[in-house]
Amino acid sequence: MELKFERIAGKSKPFYLLTFLLAGLVAAGVYSTWLMSDQGLYLSGMSSRIPWGLPIVMAIFYIGLSAGSLVISSLYGVFGKLEYKPFARVATYMALLLMIGALLSILTDQGRIDRVVVEPFSHFNFLSMLSINPFLYASYILICAAYLVVMMVGNDKWTKILALVAVLWAILVHSGTGAIFGFVPRALYNSPLLPPSFVAAALSSGTALMILVLLALFRLTGRPLDQAPVLWIGRLLAVLVLIAGYFVLIENAHRLYAHESRAAERFFLFGGAHSLLFWGGLLLVGSVLPVLILFHRKAGASIRWVAVAAVMVVAGVLCERYLIVIPGLAYPPDLFPGWTITQSPIEEGIATYAVSLHELLQALGVVALMGLLFLWGLRTLRLLPGEAGRG
Amino acid sequence: MGKTMERRKFLKAGALVGAGAAGAYGLPLLTSLRASAGNALAPAAKCRWGMVIDLTKCPPNCTACVDACKRENNVGSTGDRLRDIYRIRKVTIESTLVAGAAPKAVPLLCNHCDEPPCALVCPIKATYKREDGIVIVDPHRCMGCRYCVIACPYNARHFNFRENEQRPNPAFPRRQHGVAESCDLCAHLLDQGKQPACVAACEDVQAKALCVGNLNDPASEIAALIRNHSVKRLREDLGTEPKVFYIGL
Repeated sequence: MELKFERIAGKSKPFYLLTFLLAGLVAAGVYSTWLMSDQGLYLSGMSSRIPWGLPIVMAIFYIGLSAGSLVISSLYGVFGKLEYKPFARVATYMALLLMIGALLSILTDQGRIDRVVVEPFSHFNFLSMLSINPFLYASYILICAAYLVVMMVGNDKWTKILALVAVLWAILVHSGTGAIFGFVPRALYNSPLLPPSFVAAALSSGTALMILVLLALFRLTGRPLDQAPVLWIGRLLAVLVLIAGYFVLIENAHRLYAHESRAAERFFLFGGAHSLLFWGGLLLVGSVLPVLILFHRKAGASIRWVAVAAVMVVAGVLCERYLIVIPGLAYPPDLFPGWTITQSPIEEGIATYAVSLHELLQALGVVALMGLLFLWGLRTLRLLPGEAGRG
Repeated sequence: MGKTMERRKFLKAGALVGAGAAGAYGLPLLTSLRASAGNALAPAAKCRWGMVIDLTKCPPNCTACVDACKRENNVGSTGDRLRDIYRIRKVTIESTLVAGAAPKAVPLLCNHCDEPPCALVCPIKATYKREDGIVIVDPHRCMGCRYCVIACPYNARHFNFRENEQRPNPAFPRRQHGVAESCDLCAHLLDQGKQPACVAACEDVQAKALCVGNLNDPASEIAALIRNHSVKRLREDLGTEPKVFYIGL
């Protein structure tokens, strides 16, 4: 049976209320961004020792989520599984939006926002991961957009080609993002495993988010959802979480084993509040519990429990993103092996970081903007399957 | 037949993306390999600036170099320990290996590495190594991504977190917020044949613990100091090839 896609009406009271709320958050985010750009980044929680904070954490979180969305869309686009066709358009649109959100987070995080649009595309340093990635991100957005367009036009041949290109390109984008950290010689960054580990966490968190978005969308718009494909995605999620966890385990075991990184790893595992995020957030809530739920014979077959597991995975990967960026910066490089710095005019030793209000507002603004664009997309583009087309 | 065609298309697209990946990652690798291969022991450049810091002559409580640097380069202080900029700073270190060792006061600054990790990661080449070996930030190009601050293994890089209204040296531009900051060996003074501010200040207080000079000139004072003393560079194991040499560390 032919599947028809349609727009949502978008005329209900909650729709306008949500739009209004999101617009308010965007305005607050724009104000905070302007203030930090005008006055200086001292208004953020960042410092000379921890010069990357919440914006970068959120950026790599979004980049990850974007890949997972593409995986869901590829189930139809690449593998031609018709039961996933109803989700394909929305998933691709999400992938596109999340990457725009990531790019926006990075853009607004710069000290000189006025130079960001010109400099990275006019002066290159192809030895720098931060020079390669803008090209990867920009091309990824274009590929996703093209993929969405051919899917909506109904060109099956090009849908298949572009879906494949998009998925493979997503892996490249994520490896590149992981390399921003993995290729830098800091004790907790430097690791060839970081790019693949980044891809794995990206796929699991994005798949989890997609489950939640689909469940919410179909419920809110009163569309009956075929449970079987969602439950299958749940099982896929469990496997992805296991793969991501495997990378995390190997990486940390290696750091603990090697003499040169043991002190840093001890700090990572037992050195402060971030350790709680590792054990409680990433491992327990983000990995072990969701896998147990998803593989459980009864819970794994219940949409409600799958949704709970998906929330846990998304939260766990957010913890993981924080754990990639912040502790790696907080742990100091050893300037004088065999000596310790006891006095300094600046912060030496373990550095501290706390998110500031403006940083938070900026991050919420980016989330809200993605939300607005999502609502706009639902109302303007034919993203959701119509009632008549239910198979 | 249809299946074979599909497979061919699949392989074609895969090969295309694979080639892209190889390009994106292989190219930097190749260029970096070539760059390090060309960096033999004796560089061809005429002048190669370096610095010697003699800790045995550095008075523990003196901050003449730090103060002079701040004045010369218009780098103010706000008392914000987390964000204040020190192109050169003095730290005290104590031994963790042996009891009873005397603490040492050590000036720390940019090491002007021959293989600078900051310049390697700068996405727009705003940080670069000059032909005379000075690692410098172009404040008119830097977009403030702070990747260099993260990559520097010596914590020698800082970021202008706030606008600095103080301008004690009218001959030098005011520091604007939003760009990276680090020691450039007072390149503007060296280019005029003058000593960097810290070195001059150290001479003024009769300590003479700092010496800047041409490492390639066998007759220079710095070359003699390095030849005649046991010198150390910070974290030589990292392969960054620092050009700041310490005596008595």
